[in-house]
Amino acid sequence: MARLGMVIDLRRCIGCNACTLACKQENGTPEDIHYARVITREVGTYPATKRTFLPVLCNHCEDAPCAQACPSGATWIREDGIVMVDRNKCIGCRACAVACPYMNRHFIERGLLENGYSTDGLSPYEAVKFTEFEEGTMTKCTLCAHRVDAGLQPACVITCPTDARIFGDWDDPQGKLQKLVDERGGWSLLPECKTKPKVYYLDE
Amino acid sequence: MTTQSIAIAKHRFGFGYYRQVYWNWLIGSAFFLGGIGGATFLLSLITAFRPGMILGYLVVVVGKNTAHLTFLGRPERFWRAAMRPDRSWIARGIWATGLFAVSGFVCLLPQGRLAGWAIPAVILSAAHVVAMVSAFFIMFYDGFVMNSSPAIAFWHSKMLPLLILMYASLGGTTISLTLRELASNDDPAVLSQAEHVLLVVNFLLLAGYLARMSRWTPAARETVRLLLRGPYARVFLGLVVAVGLLATLLLSIVQQNVVGAPWLVILIALCELTGDFALVMVLLKSGLFSPQSPPSWETTRRS
Repeated sequence: MARLGMVIDLRRCIGCNACTLACKQENGTPEDIHYARVITREVGTYPATKRTFLPVLCNHCEDAPCAQACPSGATWIREDGIVMVDRNKCIGCRACAVACPYMNRHFIERGLLENGYSTDGLSPYEAVKFTEFEEGTMTKCTLCAHRVDAGLQPACVITCPTDARIFGDWDDPQGKLQKLVDERGGWSLLPECKTKPKVYYLDE
Repeated sequence: MTTQSIAIAKHRFGFGYYRQVYWNWLIGSAFFLGGIGGATFLLSLITAFRPGMILGYLVVVVGKNTAHLTFLGRPERFWRAAMRPDRSWIARGIWATGLFAVSGFVCLLPQGRLAGWAIPAVILSAAHVVAMVSAFFIMFYDGFVMNSSPAIAFWHSKMLPLLILMYASLGGTTISLTLRELASNDDPAVLSQAEHVLLVVNFLLLAGYLARMSRWTPAARETVRLLLRGPYARVFLGLVVAVGLLATLLLSIVQQNVVGAPWLVILIALCELTGDFALVMVLLKSGLFSPQSPPSWETTRRS
């Protein structure tokens, strides 16, 4: 059994949002739904200012509050630790979205799948990809489970031009994740929520 | 790094607190109606006041459930919400509401007869017990639904279910009083005293809740700021505190010395229920998700 997760090296991240776009392209998510995004902050006072970046995605928590809150059993956790949503069981109560401290649950509003990014209806690409979504239900990052099952890495990982994202298995003693965290002292987001995230960060 | 206060982020790519935008006025209405309906039914069942039982039953079974169903993204699958009572407070609430619908209906049958069939006394007694327990559960379980979210610090307090329960009790008491005043000549002295006590207790509880939250996490403190000095201050201080608690208390004291003033009774009920609904709404609207930040950014948080 594996515990799939990710380490994100903030020293390497340049805030290019390539991960955001790669995710959008791979998953074909509707407008305004981003499984991966980069939180940007400006710090300091002019002229001594700088921008800092924090790429975020679903943390695939071991104690996932979204799964706890889901009343229908639509949210479930695979054996390899990936948190999934079964859209056929989802009732659209949004309890998971309220429970997720990382705001990585997304609700597909009514009408959202009728129009794509252009004003002329769906593009051929959207017409194919949007069949994987259902209005009135929740959707979320699957850590590109379809790619992982095929022996590939998530789209955001392979696209990152600076190799800031490292994907792997936390239970693999020879793996990179635990080694990197041991060497550089990784941390996770909002530890006070006690969700045991499987996405860790390395300092800038 | 200079110390900067943290604002509310305008979008998900920005840094800051994030507003709770998932649960809207429909959920607020469902929580509100469940609280006052359950309490009205329970109080009326205990005091054998049939009009109150009917109203409380309809408010829960029709009002609360309609609001919930309208809110759901896939209402046709509502039954699935009952699948995980072992871990979800929503699922437990669905079970309680279902049990209440059945047992409450049995309690409301005239002379315990259904289409000419006399329901055995054992079943009637059991229905009374189930209806009382489920109505009580419906009064406060919404507090646990909100409280179980670790994401919104302002809700993640053990005091919240108690606050919700006490507000539901107040709403139920007010409705029962109003119905009794309008529909019968019963002397509601005990209920009237209970309303006064509940108004004072709720005021103290609300103040205690805010005091507790103002020493809680930065996100909880920011919500307290929004409620007392920010964009929700008018609703919170004006409707929840001034109208819902203070005006209700003053008017109900005045009403004790005025005979035959149904308009005053209705005005008291409107004030109290306005404050009750406004509280649920500001609780929902002012909930904030904490900023996501590396430890190195933490030094810039509002202290």
